[in-house]
Amino acid sequence: MKRVVSLLFIAALLALLLYVVANMPPMGDPENPTNSSEVIKRYLNEAEEETHCENVITGIILNYRGYDTMGEVTVIFCALAAVLAVLGREKRGKIYAYADRSRVPSSAIVRTMVAFLVPFIILFSIYTILHGEISPGGGFQGGAIVGGSMIIFTTIFGLYESSQRIPQKLRAPLEGSAVITFFIVGILGMAGGGNFLTYAWPNIATNLQPSVVTWLTILVEIGIGLGGAMVLISILFSMIREEEEIAVAP
Amino acid sequence: MAQNIVAGVFCCIGTFFFLLGTTGLVRMPDVFTRLHPSTKCDTLGACSVIIGMAVYSGWSWDLLKLVLIACFVLLSSATCGHAIGRSALKRDIAYWRKDRKEVEDGHGA
Repeated sequence: MKRVVSLLFIAALLALLLYVVANMPPMGDPENPTNSSEVIKRYLNEAEEETHCENVITGIILNYRGYDTMGEVTVIFCALAAVLAVLGREKRGKIYAYADRSRVPSSAIVRTMVAFLVPFIILFSIYTILHGEISPGGGFQGGAIVGGSMIIFTTIFGLYESSQRIPQKLRAPLEGSAVITFFIVGILGMAGGGNFLTYAWPNIATNLQPSVVTWLTILVEIGIGLGGAMVLISILFSMIREEEEIAVAP
Repeated sequence: MAQNIVAGVFCCIGTFFFLLGTTGLVRMPDVFTRLHPSTKCDTLGACSVIIGMAVYSGWSWDLLKLVLIACFVLLSSATCGHAIGRSALKRDIAYWRKDRKEVEDGHGA
């Protein structure tokens, strides 16, 4: 009986979902109800010309909504600051030697595969960051991929090895790079004769404008990518260190 | 046309293996037997779908990307299965036997 009732319920849910999917507006149709607003028309028609990004989404989040993205980047930085305020950083020059406390030490196959794959993951993230204005991707995604690759590396090889690869001396200045790049690009926009965070500078020759916009966008992408990756890695390291101390204490 | 049909057939085979793998993951009794169908998802399922997409895209740069994706999926899924299975074996997780009654806590005898 229970089985029949649940089957009926699932069938009804399936029919409802299929009905909704069948009634969805076709993808990319200019007649869609979402396309009626003025802002979206402006984005779809003018974005490529104004932002010089083939990927309209990158053009919107970095150019039209530059302030908003700068706020997001600041939020990520604040998250790191909060984590460091609670957990604290690992002491400089006093990295804990790695002791594998797991009951099952990682096997040679896993270690070989991780050492083989991590360079490819980092290469892919560089591609994601630099190709962000042409294809889907960008600084946030690329930074998250670098952070993920370092999480794999740290879980297999331990904190000692990975903090040798990315020492705190290198990490600490780069953590704020996303915010700093945004500010530098913003100030450069003021120096170029526009407002804060203007990518197209009125003061320079018109034929130079497209390349300036493109290179400033790529600069901001690199800044966001580096900053996001370093923030993730710092949070991971401080959490692991906390765990090691808890494991040592009793 | 023929290209589309071949691509569709390969994608159907792939989704069929995904369905089998998920069913096996739910129905199988312990870690080791569950590992068996769930790794089939990645090898047979994902690779069939990738072959279907490769047939669909024809000779282009997408083909190279698909081959790379297939290589990395095969490498990482095999490593994953190995790591899970080895860890379960070394931690003495009891395996399921048909002739033993299952004890109350849900693990094998």
